[in-house]
Amino acid sequence: MAKARGLEVPDRDMDRIAGPLETLEEAFRPLAKDLKAEDEPATGFRAEETA
Amino acid sequence: MTIREAAESLRARRFSAVELTASAIARIERYNPKLNAFITVTAERAIERARQADSELAAGRDRGPLHGVPIAVKDLFATRGVRTTAGSRVYENYLPSADATVVEKLEAAGAVNLGKLNLHELAYGITSANPHFGAVRNPWNTEHSPGGSSGGSGAAVAAGIVYAAMGSDTGGSIRIPAGFCGTVGLKPTYGRVSRHGVFPLAYSLDHMGPLTRSVRDAAIVLNAIAGHDRRDPASSRHPVVDYVPDDGCGIRGLRVGFPDNFYFERLDGEVESAVRGAIARAEALGAEVKPVVVPDVAALNVVARVILLAEASAVMEPYLDKRDQFGADVLALLDQGCLLPAVDYVNAQRLRRRMQREFARLWSAVDCLFIPTTPNTAPAIGETTIRLGGREEDVRLATTRLVRGINALGLPALSMPCGLSASGLPISLQIVGPPFEEALILKIGAALEDGGVGIPPCPFPSR
Repeated sequence: MAKARGLEVPDRDMDRIAGPLETLEEAFRPLAKDLKAEDEPATGFRAEETA
Repeated sequence: MTIREAAESLRARRFSAVELTASAIARIERYNPKLNAFITVTAERAIERARQADSELAAGRDRGPLHGVPIAVKDLFATRGVRTTAGSRVYENYLPSADATVVEKLEAAGAVNLGKLNLHELAYGITSANPHFGAVRNPWNTEHSPGGSSGGSGAAVAAGIVYAAMGSDTGGSIRIPAGFCGTVGLKPTYGRVSRHGVFPLAYSLDHMGPLTRSVRDAAIVLNAIAGHDRRDPASSRHPVVDYVPDDGCGIRGLRVGFPDNFYFERLDGEVESAVRGAIARAEALGAEVKPVVVPDVAALNVVARVILLAEASAVMEPYLDKRDQFGADVLALLDQGCLLPAVDYVNAQRLRRRMQREFARLWSAVDCLFIPTTPNTAPAIGETTIRLGGREEDVRLATTRLVRGINALGLPALSMPCGLSASGLPISLQIVGPPFEEALILKIGAALEDGGVGIPPCPFPSR
C-alpha cells in the first residue's frame, strides 16, 4: 500500500507504521458502521466564503 | 509578578519596560542553557521595542495591560524577518516576510516579544524532546518533560522568564505543557483566535492560545488576540467581549458538571485527589456540583486521531521524500497518515459532527465540566510508557487522553494548576465550557484562584 501511495518506506520503519495504524483502524471502523447517509462531515465548503 | 502587577508598576514608574525586558533577557541567558526553552532570542529587537514602549507611556499613549510586558511565542508563529522553524529541520532557515495575525495583535497591544520558543517537532507530539533543537526541560524538575507540543512556552512561563507565551493546541498542546509546568493554559473555541501565519498541523483541529502565570493574565492576552480575521477561513465572527474577570467574581449557583464516566478513570492517585480537592473548593465557594454522564469520549479520541493523522500528512506530504529530516516519532505518524484511506477521514469528520451534537446536550444540564488536564504528572524525559490504574500505557496516548477530544469539539478549555505531587510536580484542573464561553471559564478559574486553588511559584532554579 505504501508503494502504491508512492511512499518509499524502508522495511525497518514498517513496524512503527503498520501496527499503530491497524490498532487505530480496528477502533475506528466499527464507529463508522452506523453512520447514516444524512450524516454530513464537520468540514464543509461554503460558497459565500470565497465571494 | 503577574501581567497586571507588572502593568501597574510600569505606570507607577517603579521600573521601566527596558528594565523589565533586560531582566527577562538576563534570565534567558542564565537559565536557557538548562531549560532549552528558546530556539531564537531576539534580545536587541526586544530592547528596542521596550524603549519604544517606555517613550509611548511617557507621552501618554497607553496600549493597555500588555504595554511593555515581555512575552514570547512558540516557534510555529511567523515573525517577520525572524526565522520560524516549527521545530523542524525542514523549515530551519525559513524567514517569514510577515507576522502571524496573533504576533501582529500582541505587538499592537504593546507586548515585547523576546523570541521564539522550542516545541515538539512540527507541534506533532507531547514531549518537546526535539531531535533538532534539543529537549526542553521542565523547570519543576529538569529531568522531566515540560509536556508539549508547546513545551518551551510552558517552561519559559513557569521559570519566570516571560509573563505570557503563545502556544498552539491541536490535541492538547497548550493544556498539557501548562499542566506539566504548573502554568495556566487557555485553548479558546475553534475560530476565536486567528490561525493565520501559524504553521498548520491539522487545519480543523488547530487552536491558538496563551500560557500565563495566572487566569486573569490569560484573559488579558485573550483580549488582545481574539477576534475575526478574514485571512483565516475558520475565523469566527462571533462577537468578542471583555474576557478579564472582575475582582471578587463569584461562582455561586454555577452548575459544575462532574463526569461519572471516562474522565476520572485510570488516573494517578495524586492527580485524582488534587482535582477532587479543586471541585470541593468550587462547591465551598457556592457552585453546585452535578454528576453527569458524558458521551463516548474514547470514541471521540479515536475520531480526533484519524482526523489529525490525515490532515497533518496532507500538510507535510511534499517533504516526505526527505525522510532523514524528520524525527522517528513524527515520521511514523506522517507515514501512518499517508496510508489512511480517504473514506476514513471523511467518516471521521461525519462522526465528529454527530458527537458534537451529542456533547452539546450537556450544556442544558451544566454550565461547565471540571476534569483533570492529564491523568499523570510530567513523565521523565525519555519515558515512553507509564503505569496508570494497573495498566501500562503509551505516554503519548495517556497524556492526550483527557484533552484530545475537546479539540475535535472545538470547545474552550482552561487548564489551571490545582496541586503538587509528593515529588513536587504540578497537577492541573481542566475547565471546559460551551462554545465561545471563554469569559465564563475564565471567571470560574479566577474565582477558584482567588479562593485558594493553585500552587506556589516554581522554585526554579533552586531545585
